[in-house]
Amino acid sequence: MPEVSAPEQLPVAQARAGDPAAWNALFRRYQLPIYVFAFELLRDEQAGRDVVQETFLAAVRHLASLREDDKFGSWLFAIAHQKCRQHARKPAEVLFDEVPESPDALDDGPDELLIRREQEAAFMSQLAQLPPSHRAVLLLHFLEDFSLADIARVTETPLGTVKSRLHYAKKALCKLLEADNENTA
Amino acid sequence: MKTPREILLARHRAAAPQLDAIRHAVVNDLSRPTQAGAWPANLAAACLRLLTVPWRELVLPARRVWTALAAVWVLLFVINFSQHNPVSSVTGQPARPQPVMMSWQAQQRWLNELLTDRAAPPDADRPRNSGPGPRTENGEISFV
Repeated sequence: MPEVSAPEQLPVAQARAGDPAAWNALFRRYQLPIYVFAFELLRDEQAGRDVVQETFLAAVRHLASLREDDKFGSWLFAIAHQKCRQHARKPAEVLFDEVPESPDALDDGPDELLIRREQEAAFMSQLAQLPPSHRAVLLLHFLEDFSLADIARVTETPLGTVKSRLHYAKKALCKLLEADNENTA
Repeated sequence: MKTPREILLARHRAAAPQLDAIRHAVVNDLSRPTQAGAWPANLAAACLRLLTVPWRELVLPARRVWTALAAVWVLLFVINFSQHNPVSSVTGQPARPQPVMMSWQAQQRWLNELLTDRAAPPDADRPRNSGPGPRTENGEISFV
């Protein structure tokens, strides 16, 4: 499994200077997570690849707008999220659908979700059934372990909404996995 | 036991070769401008960007407004054009002159007649060439 690099290890400064090797390293680090993020949101392989390419091109063009180098990852995912919205056939419905939030029950769910091999298919299926807005939050949490503030920035939603969505999505997943456990027991 | 991240990345690892190709293409594009002799392509790309950026930033976001404005301009042009057309659009016959135009033409004719009548004025009507003489000869100069 590729480890999530610490932000300070990323050669963002060299990339700013136009070093192709630095860009290559950055893109190699993020290409698969961004593809997974795009594919799981859009459910389309070609669209996923397009999003990766457009994200990389936009990153090269707009790196000057990145103020903090250690936020490169969330900045790149924010670009990818925008590209996903552009690719969605009906953006207003697909990525901004509003599911009733549950701000009254924001107790923290399990921080580290571990899934058994036989539950993997069920996990992916349950993930696909989540509303795209919740799925986006959950994917950002799972793939890059972004903070809530970073996820809010990437998805351009209020922090409270992100909290609520993450809670809702995790709860739904845990419920499924528990049910699956009971069935197998 | 696996983490969700491990499961997600493993599920899509088959896409890695295609993603590598995309990465190589983008990085190659990045290093191309530094090659010698690439400036005409860069210039062309810059010119194209100069054209496409305003189009994307100004026109596309408000394309309905621009379309409405264009429709209004076309309408104004049509109205303006139809007012200058001397041929009646209904009958196909030359349009009848307006009353104002007719009165203007009558006045013009009347003025022409007047001018032709006075083309050869009698001698009595001719202005005299004898102007006033030098002022010093007109009379005595009185000093008060």
